[in-house]
Amino acid sequence: MSGTEPHTLTDLPMAAEPLGAGVPQPASAAGSNPIRDAITEAISEHKVILFMKGTPEAPACGFSARTVAALQSLDAPFAAVDILPDPRIRQELAAISNWPTIPQLFVDGELVGGCDIVTEMYESGELAQVLL
Amino acid sequence: MATAEDIKERIESAIPGAHAEVEDYTGGGDHFRATVTAMAFQGRSRIEQHRLVYEVFGAEIGGAIHALALKTQTPQDDASPVKISSQ
Repeated sequence: MSGTEPHTLTDLPMAAEPLGAGVPQPASAAGSNPIRDAITEAISEHKVILFMKGTPEAPACGFSARTVAALQSLDAPFAAVDILPDPRIRQELAAISNWPTIPQLFVDGELVGGCDIVTEMYESGELAQVLL
Repeated sequence: MATAEDIKERIESAIPGAHAEVEDYTGGGDHFRATVTAMAFQGRSRIEQHRLVYEVFGAEIGGAIHALALKTQTPQDDASPVKISSQ
């Protein structure tokens, strides 16, 4: 897929600690939450980034597939993060974005929406504008 | 297991003046599609409008409710060409 840039969070010590080990820490304690930090960093590093189930080549959910298809049909380059490998990615992402569902599309550090909003914006032409 | 009617009632009772049309599109009681029309959406971004609806269900979204596809609008946005008003 041209223009698609996979972004993985594999540099994280994900398997090194048991699930939930970081949870009792206050969310504001800097550096105490490597997954949250990695997500925040990924959002700020990429102009267009999609958190999805599966990969752009092999989406694992129809909503993620539809969102990828909208971006690809506009030839928009985007980074993608698969949230399935570790449930904490989804938990932390939901806490950061205050948005409960997957996929989530961020442009310029801001949540644009999930599948419904991205599809609506694609159909109205707004999506092409925000991706410029 | 929720029915489309349950989802509709919960949205309409939580958001004042809301009208919801809800469809259980797999028939399995866990994947729903809703169109919600409410004055409460006025002046809010689409993100904020959807958040208002998601907040009705809290952690059930992604839990017991696997999917809730949303379309939100204010009564003025309702583009239906057929307007039936009573009273």
